[in-house]
Amino acid sequence: MSARAQRPPKERRATSARAARISARTLDAVGRKHQELLAGYKGLLLVCTGTGCVSAGGFVIRDSLKAMLKKRRLDKKWLVVQTGCNGFCAMGPILVVQPEGIFYEKLNEKSLEKVAEEHLVGGKPVKASMHKDLATGNPIAKMAEIPFFAKQQLIALRNKGIVDPENIESAIAMGGYAALKKALTTMKPADVLGEVMRSGIRGRGGAGFPTGAKWESCIKASATGATGESNAQAVRPSPTKPVLVCNADEGDPGAFMDRSIIETDPHAVLEGMCLGAYAIGASEGFIYIRKEYPLALERLEKAMAQARERGLLGKRILGSDFAFDIKIHRGAGAFVCGESTALMASMEGRVGEPRAKYVHNVESGYMGRPTVLNNVETWANVPVIVEKGGAWFGSIGTGDVAKSPWNGSSGTKVFSRVGNIANTGLVEVPMGIRLKEIIFDIGGGIPGGREFKAVQTGGPSGGCLPKSMLDLPVDFDTLAKAGSMMGSGGMIVMDDRTCMVDVAKYFIDFLKDESCGKCTPCREGLIAVSEILGAITRGQATEALLGELEGLCDTMAVSSLCQLGATAPNPVLSTLKYFRDEYLAHIRERKCPAGVCKSLIRYEITPNCNGCHVCARNCPTNCISGDKKKLHVIDANACIKCGICRDVCKFDAVRVG
Amino acid sequence: MGSATTTTTTTTATIPVTVDGQTIEVKPGTTVLEAARMLKISIPTLCHHSAVEAYGACRVCMTEIEVRGKKRMVTACNFPIREPLAVFAESDATKRQRRGVLSMMLARWPNVPAIQTLAKRYGVQNPGYKHPLRNEAPDACILCGLCVKACSEMVWEDVIAFAGRGARRRVAMPFGKQSERCTGCGTCAYICPTGAIKVADEKNNPVDPARIRKYGFRLTKEMATLDDSQCKMRRVGTAHLVEIMDAYDLLPTHNYKFGKHAEIARISSPVWTSLVRQNVPDGCWVGCQMSCAKAVDDFVPRTGPYKGRKVLVDGPEYETVASCGSNIGVFEPHDIIELNFYCDTYGIDTISFGTACAFAMECYEAGVLDKRKTGGLDLKFGNATAALELLHHMSRGEGFGVLVGQGIRQMKRIFAERFGGDPKFLHDIGMEAKGLEYSEYVSKESLAQQAGYAMAQKGPQHDEAWLIFMDMVNKQLPTFEKKAEALYYFPMWRTWFGLMGLCKLPWNDVEPEDNAKWPEPNKVPGHVEGYENFLSGMIGGDFKIQDILKMSERVYNFQRVFAIRMGHGRREDDRGPYRAMGPVTAEEYESRAERYDGQLKELVKVDPAGKSTAQKMALLRQYREEQYEGVLDAVYKRRGWTRNGTPTPETLKGLGIDYPWVVEVVKARMAEEGSA
Repeated sequence: MSARAQRPPKERRATSARAARISARTLDAVGRKHQELLAGYKGLLLVCTGTGCVSAGGFVIRDSLKAMLKKRRLDKKWLVVQTGCNGFCAMGPILVVQPEGIFYEKLNEKSLEKVAEEHLVGGKPVKASMHKDLATGNPIAKMAEIPFFAKQQLIALRNKGIVDPENIESAIAMGGYAALKKALTTMKPADVLGEVMRSGIRGRGGAGFPTGAKWESCIKASATGATGESNAQAVRPSPTKPVLVCNADEGDPGAFMDRSIIETDPHAVLEGMCLGAYAIGASEGFIYIRKEYPLALERLEKAMAQARERGLLGKRILGSDFAFDIKIHRGAGAFVCGESTALMASMEGRVGEPRAKYVHNVESGYMGRPTVLNNVETWANVPVIVEKGGAWFGSIGTGDVAKSPWNGSSGTKVFSRVGNIANTGLVEVPMGIRLKEIIFDIGGGIPGGREFKAVQTGGPSGGCLPKSMLDLPVDFDTLAKAGSMMGSGGMIVMDDRTCMVDVAKYFIDFLKDESCGKCTPCREGLIAVSEILGAITRGQATEALLGELEGLCDTMAVSSLCQLGATAPNPVLSTLKYFRDEYLAHIRERKCPAGVCKSLIRYEITPNCNGCHVCARNCPTNCISGDKKKLHVIDANACIKCGICRDVCKFDAVRVG
Repeated sequence: MGSATTTTTTTTATIPVTVDGQTIEVKPGTTVLEAARMLKISIPTLCHHSAVEAYGACRVCMTEIEVRGKKRMVTACNFPIREPLAVFAESDATKRQRRGVLSMMLARWPNVPAIQTLAKRYGVQNPGYKHPLRNEAPDACILCGLCVKACSEMVWEDVIAFAGRGARRRVAMPFGKQSERCTGCGTCAYICPTGAIKVADEKNNPVDPARIRKYGFRLTKEMATLDDSQCKMRRVGTAHLVEIMDAYDLLPTHNYKFGKHAEIARISSPVWTSLVRQNVPDGCWVGCQMSCAKAVDDFVPRTGPYKGRKVLVDGPEYETVASCGSNIGVFEPHDIIELNFYCDTYGIDTISFGTACAFAMECYEAGVLDKRKTGGLDLKFGNATAALELLHHMSRGEGFGVLVGQGIRQMKRIFAERFGGDPKFLHDIGMEAKGLEYSEYVSKESLAQQAGYAMAQKGPQHDEAWLIFMDMVNKQLPTFEKKAEALYYFPMWRTWFGLMGLCKLPWNDVEPEDNAKWPEPNKVPGHVEGYENFLSGMIGGDFKIQDILKMSERVYNFQRVFAIRMGHGRREDDRGPYRAMGPVTAEEYESRAERYDGQLKELVKVDPAGKSTAQKMALLRQYREEQYEGVLDAVYKRRGWTRNGTPTPETLKGLGIDYPWVVEVVKARMAEEGSA
């Protein structure tokens, strides 16, 4: 907080200016006023209410905390702020006490009570609820000192865990809409485009296409009139006013970057879109958001309503002549609708299927109009690029993007990490960071003392990278060269109990279900590949089928209509490349080395067994017999290979062979 | 995903494309497939059809191209050529992808001939894995999407669509139920490359459905691909005719006095395009692919019982714009729509109302009527409020509306008897024949059309013959015999549509691309052939146009006999008012003096110089009336009727309708006329 904000507030109510439209002249005052309001408190209690923490009880913590303060008459001293995703989802529910930045994790009513009593009243932070260092077990008091946060660099998530996503003044107080003010008062549209071009930012949605180049093409197409084929049946109106779309149809399993950005800081996205609209000359924008994101949708709608009320969306934005408004389109949750042309077909009210992109969206997109589509994270980066300059953004990350955005990957990237990793959650790191830094330094490594085996990046159609690749710098081109991809930033970590053939089949089956089925290679290829992988996991395949598999993958990669089909073979090709031995073990020896493929394994109890009977009690088919304190035996005929016995055994006496 | 680079397109220049070493210049936007086909180089397709937009789903047309030194694989069917490129229609990379795609299809549908043929061409064997959805039927659906595209783009119905994703993808009707909007037009079945769609036509039970579908599809395809460049029936409807008729001096204006008007732009098609809901399927019957009916949404009338309320107006089409617009001097589109709405609401024909109103207005302006006689209505041409008031009076059976409501034939009598109007003048300007009001074309300069109107059995409606362009513009009917032949062929041909219950518009409001190359393009021979096959396929046999005309001729002659039995069907009944033939008033003559003077000189062989307008009018009238009688004689002869328009017993015998009670009627009339 600034020195100015430390002064006691004259006005306690933040609502005095509510509903009044904000102009470029008054924007700073609105922010200052909110800062003064916050400065009037002894401290802020930042409760994470991202979807992850909410499911762990975030809302309960928020409400209990409010009640506890009220009971102790402390509610004028401490302000409870609900924030979006803090990122450290594994540790939710999370509370951060400001200004010191004391981090409390895995709170429940009881531990919260203790925090209230000892810390908020007594002034003594509670060690028991602090984060523990993974190596030493010592509590770490301050959030900034926790390794999970230390290596991060926040641009898109600059306000995570700080602003209240449901309060526009909170966002303005943290610099929200300052970039828009700068653009509208001091920059021409071409200047905004120039900064974005200079930044070298590449699309965060998957393909990494340079955003500036996309905008520039759209501006050109709008000026010359689109000449491409029409998407819609209706004859396209000849004037070609461009349209702008925010893709919030995040569909990768285990990915929640975009959802979290919207839940955390919706105004960052809205401001980014306003800047984009100003740059390309659009007055109409859409946000395509999936139905499965109710909290994100709610916050987005609130943010839009507040922005409209305050004159930050709609006509005469910030008192200027610039007009731009946004409509929300809710998707029904089809994975393929994340593909831009399918998304636009869905927006037009047609079946969500992609079309050939020989004529690009920037020429003929939504309703045949020139359309710029960027993903949530890309839009959230735009205000910072405009505010701090493209050169500053370009200095972060890899390569020299000053000459061409294709020379590197600038800026930061948000990753959601799930799977066999200690610190699941959301991180934002500079491009070029090494995989092992994300997985081990920030991620805390593999839990349960197991070995790292592979990490799958880029969503279901990304590739699986082995241990030998852990030194790989994470950027668009390096990942693609290694047979995977950046995708939208999903990352799934797998330990040594993972069968790579089974993993490949899992992703192929996901894609098989999500393929729209329009084109032959994607539809039939996925069915066939799934069938062959199934045969391998059942030990019914020959080596000749591997050749068929590679042939199918080639046809899919080259001949598919859209990128869903074209990248679908990645899980198969990358596992074949890095874990071919495992495929061969399934085929030649009819064995699953990781002990996963049920047709190829059997569970046995080794002499390590001390006859504690825990496994027998937990067995769902009662197929484990043996007297107490005596070696137990599994009836292989009745065993369904569920693995519960292995999981519950404390003596590592269950072996899979 | 993908790259988003844009290339600017030059729309005028052509672009050189090299396909397997041969170079051709193509227009920008031409697809790789089209370019290859121009060079007779084969690229295989399964989901492509020239009648629908390229879909790019089957991927069998994967082809290697080279643009700016970079090679890439694209689908030939929808890759638009926008810069010079080379195409490798049979390179190794091309073949490898086509093989891969065909192998996938063969695994699922091993016995579909369309796939087998291509698999053989590329040496594709059955793959080594078993497809879980393997379908051995030779007529399996291969999900090419042609049926879906055809239903959407050609039929404008979207009755069928893809349902389900991925492996569950299938063609279905909404909610998997038989859709009521499916008329069984068969377009989907026809376009299907495997025969997966069968049409079960239990209601019509045609003898040869395939034959019907073949010709039905041809028409559907023409509608889908040619209408936009021809009559725009689907997008605009018949209102596109207004400015065309004005340009040819054929648009009835001020009770058919004139054929054009200075204010035409106010009621031309751009105006209707803006007022009428366009681009939606709105046929008279579900499944019509012409769908020329148009409607005005949320119209608010300014008069009458629906004043101030939002209503939907069906129309206006061309005849209504002319009858309730130019012919009564109204050029305000909203008034035309309102007249249209109240005519529909009251159950009054817009043509009869407009023509009757125009007659009353001319009588008013000529002094036959005045405000006292009209009950206060100021019936000047162009007074839309008075016209609307008259219409409301008619509906309520009040005041002057009672007189107009009886039609022109009765008005002529009443105005002469009660108001002292000149019967000859009233007869000359009263645009009716056989008691029916004229429809909306000026026939003055087309002798054949004068007869086409006045001789029509039901009265002067152009549904028996529309010969104005053939006769007047294209001069294809120079002799009485030629005119008589047209007045035999077209009434018989057009009557047949009535016999079949078919709409005539698809016959000639869309024409085959090569229509002009046929002999007698006016008959749209390509479509006549289609109707021959339609009839033959429906009821069996092998009908030709002569058989079809014969069917109509029987009915047509029987209608004439019926008219005779009712005391009509005489030569005098086949004469129209002189307003349909030439200028009745000096004002009319003067407005086209140059044309009429020229005709006096060339046709009547008299020098108009020095003659008064009245003298010239009389000479022209005498000439035109003689000409008309000449046409009547020729037509009666061609139809096998007597000089007084009675079918002879021989004619009836030739048609096989010489039943005694029929012959008795004509013999009685012939005896009465002394022409037996």
